[in-house]
Amino acid sequence: MKELGTRKDYLIEQKEKKGRKLFGVFPAQYPKEILWAMNVLPVEIWDPPLTITHANEHLQPYICSVVSLGLELIVQGKCDALDGFLFPHTCDSIQNLASIVYNYLGMEKPCYFFYHPKASSRDSSRAFYREQLTGLISRLEEQLGPLDKSELEKRVHQGQQIARVLRELYDLRARGELDASNAEFYKVIRSGEYLHPDDFLPLLEEFLSSAKGSGSSGKAVVLSGILPNPLEILALLDELGVRIAHDDLLCCGRRLPAPAGSAHDPLEALTDSYFAMPPCTTKNSPVNARINELLSKIEQTNARGVIFYIVKFCEPELFDVPQVSGELKRRGLATLVIDCEVNQILTGQVVTRVEAFAEMIS
Amino acid sequence: MSLIRRLRYRFMKDVGAPLLMGLSQKTRKRGARKPNPHFGPNLKNSRRLKEIMARHYFLSRYAQGAKPVAWVTSGAPVELLRAFDFYTFYPENHGALCGAQKVGPELCSIAEEHGYHRDLCSYARIDLGACFSGMTPVGKLPKPDLLFASNNICQTVVYWYKVLAYHWNIPLIIFDTPYNFEEITEKDTSYMVSQFKEMIPTLEEISGEEFNYERFLRIIRIAREASITWGKVLGTMKARPAPMTIFDAFGHLAPIVSLRGLPVALNYYRSLLGELEDRVEKGVGAIANERKRLMWDNIAIWYKVRDLSDTFAKHGMNFVTATYTNAWAETVPQLDTNYPFESMAKAYSLVILNNNLNHRLELMQRLIKEYQVDGLVIHSARSCKPYSVGQYDLKRLLMKRLGVPSVIIEADITDSRVYSEEQTRTRLEAFFEAMGH
Repeated sequence: MKELGTRKDYLIEQKEKKGRKLFGVFPAQYPKEILWAMNVLPVEIWDPPLTITHANEHLQPYICSVVSLGLELIVQGKCDALDGFLFPHTCDSIQNLASIVYNYLGMEKPCYFFYHPKASSRDSSRAFYREQLTGLISRLEEQLGPLDKSELEKRVHQGQQIARVLRELYDLRARGELDASNAEFYKVIRSGEYLHPDDFLPLLEEFLSSAKGSGSSGKAVVLSGILPNPLEILALLDELGVRIAHDDLLCCGRRLPAPAGSAHDPLEALTDSYFAMPPCTTKNSPVNARINELLSKIEQTNARGVIFYIVKFCEPELFDVPQVSGELKRRGLATLVIDCEVNQILTGQVVTRVEAFAEMIS
Repeated sequence: MSLIRRLRYRFMKDVGAPLLMGLSQKTRKRGARKPNPHFGPNLKNSRRLKEIMARHYFLSRYAQGAKPVAWVTSGAPVELLRAFDFYTFYPENHGALCGAQKVGPELCSIAEEHGYHRDLCSYARIDLGACFSGMTPVGKLPKPDLLFASNNICQTVVYWYKVLAYHWNIPLIIFDTPYNFEEITEKDTSYMVSQFKEMIPTLEEISGEEFNYERFLRIIRIAREASITWGKVLGTMKARPAPMTIFDAFGHLAPIVSLRGLPVALNYYRSLLGELEDRVEKGVGAIANERKRLMWDNIAIWYKVRDLSDTFAKHGMNFVTATYTNAWAETVPQLDTNYPFESMAKAYSLVILNNNLNHRLELMQRLIKEYQVDGLVIHSARSCKPYSVGQYDLKRLLMKRLGVPSVIIEADITDSRVYSEEQTRTRLEAFFEAMGH
């Protein structure tokens, strides 16, 4: 498979050679197809490899490292090449971070905010989401000029193709028919956080054709949480012969849309796609829905347990875990709850707990 | 609802509660505290406040089965529920009470034993600890038929109420208020109005009562009037000396939070306002020697209210305003019976914590000027991220724009285990020095 260059080189090329605008996008749910259609490349900011030195002047130590590192990236001046920011409304900390950046840092770049409904089972939520899409388009048009409807249709279709290949990859992985380590799999999947769809789709297709075949027969688990960071966790599971057969990660599996519906209108298709995504803590999905989703993934993969890999101080996740893991335990499944700072080296204690868990599910 | 339980509730309301309050008054008289030389005379209405809140908690024990019971978040538009005669219980108020009575750590520990991380909001952990154990200083909590949460104050309350909904297998209604990153739009308002209309059939089903529009309007009127009166109560602290401290106001806040929309809250604030206006006229201050006037930012440190109150009073410093107490006076007056749903959507979505940080900065600047504030104490509360994230910048900007010195106390609202006596003392000493003491 073609080696991915550095993220930085890729982004410079996108800006300078392809003439694309670059937007820094904070986690997690947003209509990336609209940005693509406006020749904007969304560059997601989850876990920049930095040490926090400046963000502490703005944020308390009890704020999660995804938020702190994102702000660190900005205050260290590493976002200077970006043309704007988009803040989806994911949690209280990202909400206030958006306001700090927009109101207090004297940022001259445009900042956009995207609110998605938090009571998603109502009719009004659907109508509101659709209005949020049109509202975002209007605001972006002020900076970027009018949206070409046919370009949006093209990008929505491309997004559906990406989702189709991703689903196929996940299905193969669930059946143990994908010859890729945990680390390799997530390296490819997560490259979608910054690759343009014109590059991401071929990469996924190439990965699919090269990795399709007999995969690891290791013990299957489901990984739940925000993101698989630090990467050592993936390497450790590989070493222990544990295969992440499916995930319930905010940055990956929870953003995987269901197969495209029959909608022809691109905004309708985006709305369908949003509401058909798996349950998520950041959308206030009921605990039952999350349990059922995990049980379905466990059944699909024959997983023997679930690892809840939580970013320290992440309230949406931490509130759900006791009931979700409790129900899984009642059903005889193994569970392991780990909370870690992003980019932190795995401690000996965490390694031991993961090893003990791997042994338990053998 | 069972007839026997209704009769029992009615009996307790009319006979049991007044009897108990009478007994409690007699006991309290015997144990009256010595006057503190740093403070002015006690507010007479404080006794009435205690009676009202004690009665509220006492009756909550008998509400189950007699009335539909709802647990409600402090910023939720309770007026809609009152139109269906729900008995409303406020876990946040209960959390504050547990904090003030210093049982926070014990109840939090119970939730922690059930897997709820120590990093989570301590109001939530207290509530979950009370649910799991049945322990509470108020005797017994009423089991809810419905949970009603609005994310206008934080997303945390919704995560917390989801846990309760699963625990009891009961419905949770979420009132979703889009965050005001720039300005609230007509689309946002119409989304919120649609939600109210979608809620009504569910509320009818749970309560067994039809929606009574006239009753709803009456409740809106009372809530609005109570909120305006609460604003006037707070406004008396513009006087020099201020007739009340913000530490008093933290307590007097309870009816506007928990009993909003009921005549008892309105009557109480009218009475309190009368007493405070009388004090202003006579020049009676809340502290003996008011030399400096301060503002408080964030929720109270409930287990330290008395200690902090004493410490500041000894230095001749009085807290005359707070962003927290102001929250229930700021937007509810916008309720309008001509446009009840639209005005309710706006009133509840424009609250301080659902607004961008520029709004908070402007509000604080206004309060500092109106209340002639000399200094600011910022409580960085681990439990409350929407209130706390941004405070470091607020401190810097207020110093730059208005030259107002401030201090940050790193603490928590009810979990005293994270409170460092030493660190707070050191910071306050530096603050007192900066304030010229």
